[in-house]
Amino acid sequence: MPAAIEEAPALAPAGAAAPRGGMPGWLTITLQRILLVGVVLAAWQVATDHFIDPFWISQPSEIALRLWTMAASGDLLFHATATAWQALLGLLLGLVVGVVAGVLYAAFPRGAQVADPLVMGLYSVPRVAFAPLFIIWFGIGLFSKVMMAFSMVVFVYLLNTAQGLREVDRDLLDAMRSMRARPLWLLWHVRLPAILPWIFGATRIGLGLALVGSVLGELLGANRGLGWYVERSGGRLDTTGVMAGLVALMVIAVVGNEIVRLIERLALRGATR
Amino acid sequence: MSVSAPSPKLTFEGITLDYPGLRVLDGIDLSLADGEFLAIVGPSGCGKSTLLRLASGLLSPTDGRVLLDGKPVSGPPPGVGFMFQRDTLMPWADVRRNVEVGLVLGGTPVRERPARLAELLALVGLTDFAGHRPAQLSGGMRQRVALARLLAYAPDIYLLDEPFGALDAQTKITMGRELLRIWAQRRRSVVFVTHDIEEAVTLADRVVVMAPRPGRVRSIHRVDLPRPRDPRALRQDARFRDVCAAIWNHIVEEEPAHD
Repeated sequence: MPAAIEEAPALAPAGAAAPRGGMPGWLTITLQRILLVGVVLAAWQVATDHFIDPFWISQPSEIALRLWTMAASGDLLFHATATAWQALLGLLLGLVVGVVAGVLYAAFPRGAQVADPLVMGLYSVPRVAFAPLFIIWFGIGLFSKVMMAFSMVVFVYLLNTAQGLREVDRDLLDAMRSMRARPLWLLWHVRLPAILPWIFGATRIGLGLALVGSVLGELLGANRGLGWYVERSGGRLDTTGVMAGLVALMVIAVVGNEIVRLIERLALRGATR
Repeated sequence: MSVSAPSPKLTFEGITLDYPGLRVLDGIDLSLADGEFLAIVGPSGCGKSTLLRLASGLLSPTDGRVLLDGKPVSGPPPGVGFMFQRDTLMPWADVRRNVEVGLVLGGTPVRERPARLAELLALVGLTDFAGHRPAQLSGGMRQRVALARLLAYAPDIYLLDEPFGALDAQTKITMGRELLRIWAQRRRSVVFVTHDIEEAVTLADRVVVMAPRPGRVRSIHRVDLPRPRDPRALRQDARFRDVCAAIWNHIVEEEPAHD
């Protein structure tokens, strides 16, 4: 039995299983998370106050101050939305193209066999290596970054879709076939719902990769975005600027991940009706 | 009541099926009268499930023909309902939707669906569980959902592949009784595959015993027990035990003769 299908009904929140001392599980987990981050930041602050020159790794208070000034001037939002927007467009494009390609992959096994070395070859080439080409083809504007993000995630969707489709319960398909279900009906009503957990899994992986692609594109040629800001700060030996950019990226990744998780929960629950 | 009625519902004509290096079925001749309840028993590997796949058009024979209402089967024909040992429900959909699929594929008009759905859920006793998902139900309840889906599809012939094989003895008997009740109402043709001889004799008009490697028909036994039958009371019946014993002998006899 495919693991993904078994995962589907498991919608209980992560921390729900520890009702100790009257405090709800999720609250305990949240407090512990905050505590962990707090300890790391405190250690960092203390270390840079006493032992390490902040020139090398900056320090939390400086970074917070920088983020605050950037936020106040509107720079933070400007750069962050550029990066996030490119990543999101790349992710969505990758989802559509990757899922369609994955469906074709599973629908035509012979064709897939033929195409496989090519696809895996492209998948194995570090996408950074394509960057110069992308800039030649798509310019240094939005589009080259979107394509960079796309090139990172499309394979994840393709491979997950194809694998998910291969693992759809054969007896379930046969049961539907015995009732004369047509191939397109099967695809829409059985196969795609069955691989929904796979697609969400791919999205959680793809989100990080899309951000990498987006930032990568910015590092190589841009005039905006967090990647560009990090690159420029680095060029000026401004570690605080680099760290501020990285923190902003991290926040985008975490928030994005939570949004995907929320959509997943709603979608898998909504599938019931 | 004559078994070989003028036009049989389903006929296997010299069915042979080969997999590479393996003969699965060897010259099966068998026919099923309209409204007949036929059980097929035999050890695992005798190809009894394969026979059902052939009848449903999910599989094609190497040699021979399957005729449904006198017409050769190629690809799933209309009016054939298939039920598997494993409940083949959509795990992401609730009970209502899983049953509704049978109505959709069976061509029930949209307007009539809600009423039919309510009727079917009541019939299998799952009205209160309409919003539950398969994972939230017991094995017996899941098979009831599968049965309701089968009935929703409204087939002329039921192909049941060890439908209660994974259930505990108690539930199995209850489900058998319900199946008999439903069958008595509708009088559709049934092919019921099982390895449980008592279950076969309880339910069927005729019991086909199959032998393995390669799968072939070993013997056919009529079960002339009066209907309606009560699965529990039957167990005390001498005639019931005679039929079971006869079938047992045929199966046991077979074993040492091989390998």
